[in-house]
Amino acid sequence: MAGKTILVAEDDRVTLRFVSSLLEDQGYAVLPAEDGRRAHELALTQRPDLIVTDLLMPYEDGFEFIRRVRAEPALARTPILILSTKSREEDIVLGLEEGADDYMVKPFRAREFLVRVRKLLERRRGAA
Amino acid sequence: MYRALVLSVLATGIVFLGLTLVIVVGKAWREAREARGRAVRRELEPRVLAYAHGTEPSLMAVLGRPIRRAERRVLERIFLDHVQRVEGIERERLARALDELGYVEEYVAGVGSPRWWRRAECAERLGLAGASRATGVLIRALDDEVSEVRLRAAKALGAVGGRAAVRPLLRALNEPNRWSTIRIGDILAGMGSPVVAELLDAFPDLSLHAKVAALDILGRVRSLEAVGWLRARLGDREPDIRARAAHALGQIGDLEAGADLVEALGDREWPVRAMAAKALGKLRCRQAVPRLAELLRDRQWWVRANAAEALRLMPPAGIEALERALADPDAYARHQACLMLEEAGVLEQRISALAGPDGPAREAAVELVRRFVAAGQTGRLRELAERHQAAEVRSALAALLPPDPAEARP
Repeated sequence: MAGKTILVAEDDRVTLRFVSSLLEDQGYAVLPAEDGRRAHELALTQRPDLIVTDLLMPYEDGFEFIRRVRAEPALARTPILILSTKSREEDIVLGLEEGADDYMVKPFRAREFLVRVRKLLERRRGAA
Repeated sequence: MYRALVLSVLATGIVFLGLTLVIVVGKAWREAREARGRAVRRELEPRVLAYAHGTEPSLMAVLGRPIRRAERRVLERIFLDHVQRVEGIERERLARALDELGYVEEYVAGVGSPRWWRRAECAERLGLAGASRATGVLIRALDDEVSEVRLRAAKALGAVGGRAAVRPLLRALNEPNRWSTIRIGDILAGMGSPVVAELLDAFPDLSLHAKVAALDILGRVRSLEAVGWLRARLGDREPDIRARAAHALGQIGDLEAGADLVEALGDREWPVRAMAAKALGKLRCRQAVPRLAELLRDRQWWVRANAAEALRLMPPAGIEALERALADPDAYARHQACLMLEEAGVLEQRISALAGPDGPAREAAVELVRRFVAAGQTGRLRELAERHQAAEVRSALAALLPPDPAEARP
């Protein structure tokens, strides 16, 4: 799975650095974005293999970002993992219904996160 | 006179110049310090994260050089920022490094500081560091004279966890004049299943107020090991205990408690009957449907409302019971049945048959509308008579509904 590109959309810089370093340690290339609009631009131009996104972000929140990604034919099958502090059942259900493939609540377990990332990338490869 | 004026202008100018210099130098010094801090952070943070993600037993080996005194605050900030954003092994490793670098020792000493904000800050940081060896210090801080220090110590104890941290927090539940029961309840519930054994053990010594809070905590922790104990509490002589035990059993959701909760539907105190009805709905306990249907006629509104809500959650038997209740001689039972059938979408679903070819279904829909009209529940039907997508349904409803008294008024 090393060498795959992962877009990380996260407005909290500390979390962004943590997640980026975690993924880079595993050999993934990381595209960091600090708001939903920038994340959308990077998704369109760089076509990542996986998107990890927060829900609460400036300019364009995570739900809107996911909707716009899913509306793009070229990105419609890109796996999306939501990583959010929102832990209510309604938010999780809404996130998955909007088109995310997986959901993790912060604070999160790094090893579990990495396994989920790997599984999502494998599933994408299997479907391709 | 002129000379005095010149001197005073000069003196004012010198004062202003001096103040400006102080501000400029102070700002420059602050900015230089912050820039230095950012540079140190840029250098150290990747190493700290590499340590957190890795398996190296000691942080010092990953840092590669000794930490200067001026860098310690920056390093501490890096740890504190990350330790509260992760769980699991990474969190344990970051917490261990905080201890290895001597920060935990500083916090332990800080809890004894004469300045209350320092005590509060250090108590909080001991929680972030998960410093189980500081449990004793934090327990003592629960008796601090400043409420903010007490609260942060309580939160820290919740974060540190372990059985030793539970008992003092339970004691805090016994002192509602010093502690917010809701906050302590949140902390204990957040500690999860480790609180259960201690809580059951301490329960007999708690005040009634604390016992009620403790039962709520058991429900929120959703501890299966407490189910048998909670079932026994349904026979407690205190009605509040019986009611909260029923509520907790509903939150846990173990069907094993179904028979006891059905029995509690006959309790002489209405809060117990109301909570038992609510719990049975959460359990989706279909054996309770006949007794819940009877409770639609209870003399207390909360009991009727909870029984109706529970029946709504248990289709098809619960919905059938609500439909039968439309013909009940008791007006309260009919009212609750109407409300729940509306909420469950049954009314809308059934009246669609008014436009369909199926004769018996159409007859059943007409009968349902008549029963709603007889119960005086026509609000939703009038809305549908105006806005239903099928014209045939709208006209059939208009024919079945009596004139709107609101429109008849001048």
